[in-house]
Amino acid sequence: MALPRPLEGIRVVDFTWVRAGPWAARWLGTFGAEVIKVEWPENMDMLRQNRFTVPKGVEPGPNSTGQFADTNATKRGITVNVRTPKGLELLKQLISVSDIVIENFSSRIMQRWGLGYDELKKLRPDIVYISMAGFGHTGRHHYYGTMGPAAAALSGLTFLSGLPGEPPAGWGWSYLDDTGGMYGAMCALTALRHRSATGEGQHVDLSQMITGITLTGSAFLDRTVNGRESRREGYPPGNRTVWPGAPLAHNYRGPTAVPHNSYRTKGGNYNDWCVIACFSEDEWQKLTVLMGSPEWATASKYDTLDGRIKHQEELDQGVEKWTATLEKYELTTLCQNAGVRAMPVQSSEDRVEHDAQLRQRDMYVPMDHPMLGTWKFQNAPFKLSKSPAVVSSPPPMIGHHNREILEDLLGESHEDVLAGYEDGTLWPKEMPKFKYVEEALR
Amino acid sequence: MTQDASKITNGHMPGPLSGLRVLELSDEKGQFCGKLMADLGADVIKIEPPGGQNTRWVGPFLDDIPHRERSLSFWHYNTSKRGITLNLDSSQGAVLFQRMIPSCDIILETFKPGYMESIGLGYETLSRLNSRLIMCSLTPFGQTGPWKDYLTSDLLHLAGGGQMASSGYDAEDVPDAPPIAPGGGNAWHIAGHYTYMGIMSAVYYRDMTGEGQYIDASVHEACALTTEGAIAIYLSTGDVVQRHTGRHASVDYSTKIQMSTKGGGWVNLTRSGSNLTPARLNTLAKWMDEYGLADDLLDEKYRDVAVLQENGIHIADVLQNFCGNMPQDELWQGGQERDFPWGAIRSMEDLMGDAHLEDREFFVEVEHPELGRSFTYPGAAAIYNGSPWRISRRAPLVGEHNQEIFCGELRLSPAELTVLAESGVI
Repeated sequence: MALPRPLEGIRVVDFTWVRAGPWAARWLGTFGAEVIKVEWPENMDMLRQNRFTVPKGVEPGPNSTGQFADTNATKRGITVNVRTPKGLELLKQLISVSDIVIENFSSRIMQRWGLGYDELKKLRPDIVYISMAGFGHTGRHHYYGTMGPAAAALSGLTFLSGLPGEPPAGWGWSYLDDTGGMYGAMCALTALRHRSATGEGQHVDLSQMITGITLTGSAFLDRTVNGRESRREGYPPGNRTVWPGAPLAHNYRGPTAVPHNSYRTKGGNYNDWCVIACFSEDEWQKLTVLMGSPEWATASKYDTLDGRIKHQEELDQGVEKWTATLEKYELTTLCQNAGVRAMPVQSSEDRVEHDAQLRQRDMYVPMDHPMLGTWKFQNAPFKLSKSPAVVSSPPPMIGHHNREILEDLLGESHEDVLAGYEDGTLWPKEMPKFKYVEEALR
Repeated sequence: MTQDASKITNGHMPGPLSGLRVLELSDEKGQFCGKLMADLGADVIKIEPPGGQNTRWVGPFLDDIPHRERSLSFWHYNTSKRGITLNLDSSQGAVLFQRMIPSCDIILETFKPGYMESIGLGYETLSRLNSRLIMCSLTPFGQTGPWKDYLTSDLLHLAGGGQMASSGYDAEDVPDAPPIAPGGGNAWHIAGHYTYMGIMSAVYYRDMTGEGQYIDASVHEACALTTEGAIAIYLSTGDVVQRHTGRHASVDYSTKIQMSTKGGGWVNLTRSGSNLTPARLNTLAKWMDEYGLADDLLDEKYRDVAVLQENGIHIADVLQNFCGNMPQDELWQGGQERDFPWGAIRSMEDLMGDAHLEDREFFVEVEHPELGRSFTYPGAAAIYNGSPWRISRRAPLVGEHNQEIFCGELRLSPAELTVLAESGVI
């Protein structure tokens, strides 16, 4: 018998789109909540249009992108035109039998639709409403828009990343879309706890951009407490804790350590890199022995952290001469078996194909998808002993579950549903219907 | 308009997690998760070894004077918690710990796999003292698997998790650049977020069923999950993304969106010029034209989407020239006022005094009574209208709440406390 899941019995109306919002609701679904994604085909979720993730040999279309699939797994889907009175009424009915409403529109959209918190509360007094606007709903710039990269820039996160004297390298993906998504789910779970303790729902006004500020770590306090200048020589320090030759300063990478860097490994291909960090004299000694105690490494100038900081450039060159002779996984095994901290730089392919740990932990779960065939979905990074989080179903094809949600859940008659397709409430009048939509109506 | 933490602490609304007690046995891996729970109203008791956690010795330090009570890193990650010291390796310490279990809801621990069992404090044992107990072990790789005993660090996780493989520079910007691990501490942040979700889902399950449970959480898995589309792109096409300066890693080359501004700043334009619609490009070109910097972008030929896309690189060049002539703030805010979701690459200095953040009472003054000073901390990312997210106090001093917990709650006498201190138990 399958184990129960933690959020069984919770229903979520999911108005989110693109990445951060859908990723939040995806986790609620993975915890067992019944998530109903509300869409409209004329204003399609951007990820349904992501041409980079349509596998070869699969017919392109809104149900065929791998990125949408992973981001929206575990949901059911409904198409309703909220801009029609009839569509709005249906959504209000849906909200009245739901626990959570979650959305990541710009800050005044829901109010404009007549679905602001005060209205939601009338429909369901203990509703948990999570809004995920870039700047939030409160504050003078609430109407400013963000996508993940601009949010990361504004939060201070982008500035922290890169080599000194160069432009910021930034984050090579929308960190704040992933993170905003996590916070959306975290806020929902937190407000649910408050509801089960008090019986009260609430509006949680999340700002994607602000989630990033706390993630700058102690850089924030170094400014407010010590008045530290961010525009300083040697900062940000690449992958190091301190930059060679620059005035010594703390750069928020944890304890100051040398070596602490990335190094090329055998093969010399694009991702043939590893990282090594030594946090004590003992760890450095172990690395020295592992490298075969070469003359350069046993020089006394490297015996202390102070010496290794002063001679970091030479030391890193010496270490890289050694790492370049080893394949990155071979190097990792050698180092770890000897008590030296090392890891391969892993690409997406590496994680899916070559990471023995992720494989053992079932990180990528195969499931059948109507367009993509057997498809791997990313699993939860934690294992709950009694109520596991499980990626249990593929994402909805657009409008896939209209009939079962409208008829079985909301008690609409089949005739009313058919009429909704005719009058543009449930599908755009001018748009051809997908075969599965036609079939579902028979 | 900064928040005064002391005033809010005396406010009438408790945080959303009030009533939950957490015992945090955690180093750098779990302290952020503990902070989130504490700032959201849980009673988080941080249990440190006698003398204090080694995370107290991570810089930067107040006025650059290293001291276990002056670590800004420790301050940042341990707000709103209470702190006690206890040697779990001693039999007396273990007994005292067990006496705290019946009143506790959640244990968050980050020891090596198997350590808690080895000292007789594994989940099986502790759950017999409290069947409602939720115990979460957050470790680098989880409790099982071939890498479970591997050593790690923040940098190592950002390598293994895939963050570095996506972040760095175009070869034309910085030849031979390595993959870059962005911002220190973020492996722990990513793990903290997911661990928080796992724990809260267990809390809800317990609210419904009365049952506690054990959670095995992994930093590596959390990081491996957090590279947005990289995995989906690989699974879809077999392609691995390439690193680009200040923008998404991608399979193809993409046009630049990180523009340098007048005065040495940068603005992120979110999407490149070629992704604009003709109407949006026209809005932009009119603005640029006010400064005589529109080049040919007002030309009618750009009403054709195909022409617009063919000229992506040219448009990016014209945009860069415009950006280079504009001060950072005027540029990004001018863009926002015209509905372009642009953002300046702000440093910490740039963030201070931000009016929008002040409107949201984001900056919080936290009192450090032992220093007779207060400092500005980053506050809530979300405004909960029914139960506030707020910093209730600064990080605890070493053993600050020993008396409160051991004498006040566990009913030890002051004399017994003295003996425990002298014998190294607390």
